[in-house]
Amino acid sequence: MNYKRFIVYQGTIGMASSMIFPFYILMLRNVGNSYSQFGWAYGLFALTAAICYPIIGKIADKAGDQLLLSIYSWGMALILLVFPLANEIWHVYILQILMGVLGAVQKNSEKTVLARHVVKETAGKEIGNYHIWTSIAAAAAIIGTGYLVDFFTISSIFYIASALFAWSGFSILKKDKTLSEFQA
Amino acid sequence: MKRYLMLLVYVTLLFVSLHYFIDQRAEPITEDRNRLLPVKMKAIKTTDSTAEIQQVVLDANSEEDPIAIAGMQHSQGGHTEYPDGILLDMKPYNKILAFDAEEKTITVQSGATWRDIQDYINPYGLALKVSQSQNIFTIGGSLSVNAHGLDIRHGSLIDTVESLRLLDANGEILTLSPEQNTELFQAVVGGYGLFGIILDVTLRLTDDEMYEIHSEQLQYDDYSDYFNENVIADDSVKMHLARISLSPDSYLKEMYVINYQAMEPKGVPMDPQKLREETLIAVPKFFLGLARLNEQGKRTFWNTQKTYSASIDGKVISRNNVMRSDSEFMEYSHPENTEVLQEYFVPVKNFEAYIDDLRETLIDEEDFNLLNITIRYVEKNEKAVLSYAKEDMFSLVLLINQGTDAKSIEDTGRVVRNMIDVTLDYGGSYYLPYFGYPTKEQMAEAYPRTREFFDLKEEYDPSGRFMNIFYEEYKQ
Ligand SMILES: Cc1cc2nc3c(=O)[nH]c(=O)nc-3n(C[C@H](O)[C@H](O)[C@H](O)COP(=O)(O)OP(=O)(O)OC[C@H]3O[C@@H](n4cnc5c(N)ncnc54)[C@H](O)[C@@H]3O)c2cc1C
Repeated sequence: MNYKRFIVYQGTIGMASSMIFPFYILMLRNVGNSYSQFGWAYGLFALTAAICYPIIGKIADKAGDQLLLSIYSWGMALILLVFPLANEIWHVYILQILMGVLGAVQKNSEKTVLARHVVKETAGKEIGNYHIWTSIAAAAAIIGTGYLVDFFTISSIFYIASALFAWSGFSILKKDKTLSEFQA
Repeated sequence: MKRYLMLLVYVTLLFVSLHYFIDQRAEPITEDRNRLLPVKMKAIKTTDSTAEIQQVVLDANSEEDPIAIAGMQHSQGGHTEYPDGILLDMKPYNKILAFDAEEKTITVQSGATWRDIQDYINPYGLALKVSQSQNIFTIGGSLSVNAHGLDIRHGSLIDTVESLRLLDANGEILTLSPEQNTELFQAVVGGYGLFGIILDVTLRLTDDEMYEIHSEQLQYDDYSDYFNENVIADDSVKMHLARISLSPDSYLKEMYVINYQAMEPKGVPMDPQKLREETLIAVPKFFLGLARLNEQGKRTFWNTQKTYSASIDGKVISRNNVMRSDSEFMEYSHPENTEVLQEYFVPVKNFEAYIDDLRETLIDEEDFNLLNITIRYVEKNEKAVLSYAKEDMFSLVLLINQGTDAKSIEDTGRVVRNMIDVTLDYGGSYYLPYFGYPTKEQMAEAYPRTREFFDLKEEYDPSGRFMNIFYEEYKQ
């Protein structure tokens, strides 16, 4: 995994998750109907993430970032296949817990890759650059999906996002030579 | 190659997910579709027991709470809502109570949907006589608007009711039919839930039949003649619908018609056909989405509709399947916009002149986003007090995309009132289950017995137990 591929990867998953985010709320409204349920759904997400960070942190140094990122991508791809089928609030709670775990994996790995790559002296600039591209991708996705929802059902947007995640997982698993040098 | 293995697993699971997803769609999920009127109610009551419904009315009487009755809540003008009232949700009250395949009658509780009935009677080779084009509505909600649909041979919905039981404002149960409590019967059908709770209904059914679809294109000024000569005069044509163009190239000129013609041999019992489920909604949804955008999108949408109608020419379909048209592709969730319906009735003989005038009215309304017009036929029928079919009429259903802010509501309201004025000029009327854009005067003109209707309401429910926003806005 070279750095450029990493940025493309982060851009892709950023797009996929921004696509679903606004519609995720619409869909929660279909399934649940009270603000406390909203609160629980998001709270569970944050809570599982918090519990997972220490473990993920330990694993990250042994297993390698690439493996963790691919777990994140494939995991999200599969979870999003379940979303269109969810029709009760407890389904959503379970999915939120799983997404909490994966979210922690992604956040941690994003940072470890950056930490391993950037040179201390130019860290500001490099991380700034990194954010430009990933934010542009996310913005494009949010705006684009605003139009998409006029044409597609909310469920089809989940499927599209799932396919994007699968693609990202597929591409991050590609072997390349710079990998060992990158990990060192 | 690990990653190819993963991909394989993923694709397999994708298909599993799609499979279950399509299966699950068979059960429609509904919510209040049109978000122009959010209303805070005091409580929502729902039950499948008659005694409990009776108790709700008795409690409301002692607490002096107004009750608003709700089916699937597809009506769009606050017909199921009243501020600080009790919303009585009839959906769970949906059992099939009796069925006689010989006599072709069925007795159902009012929260049942047409779909529930179709699922039950299809194996017996029976079908509904009259229902809306879609089967997602409750029987109680449909009777309360005196709904109509594609059928052109069985009169109005009120004609298919043998009898019904009504729980009135005193908590008493009355039997109503064309012979018994006639006055109340004619007020309750098309009565918008203002006279009491329809508990159960005995409906007359007809045979399920196989129809061959015939579709044709024509110009709007030929339509009335075409209809009189080729549709209504031909007994084998059982159902009919038409659409008129909103494409900029042929705006309110080009049309296509779809006729459903009974196949020989008549009267021979047919094998029950599998009931159709809605599957590929993404495709029509996409083209409707284009029409929302701009003129080019409307052109594409119309061309697709024409191509589609031509492509089904000659196909064969059962009556039950005609009466369960797709609707989900119309479901629309947008943070600021919504889609509303309007429906106008105009005498068959006046169609051409009416369309010319309507075109005039709409020509400068560039911001009025009209997406589709579907045309059907209703035979003259004045049995219900609030009857819209004062003559043999064409009905035009308009699908309109609009904003939910005050300005958009105002703008749409102005255009709607103009269109209704034109409709009334041609001896027409408009349909009441939609948003309260029309004025009281327009209602009184469209429905000559409006006054009588509201007087009957006061007579049968003097304390105003059954209330809704529609009544509040239009009582006179
Ligand atoms: C997409 C769409 C397509 C439509 N197509 C057609 C069509 O083809 N033909 C047509 O005629 N109409 C059509 N309509 C209008 C539709 O028929 C009415 O809105 C109908 O009332 C909807 O039924 P519902 O179960 O949603 O009733 P609701 O909207 O829940 O209720 C309608 C009225 O009935 C009253 N009510 C409901 N249940 C009872 C009961 N058990 N006892 C007493 N009163 C009761 C309510 O108080 C309310 O006043 C369409 C509407 C939509 C949104």
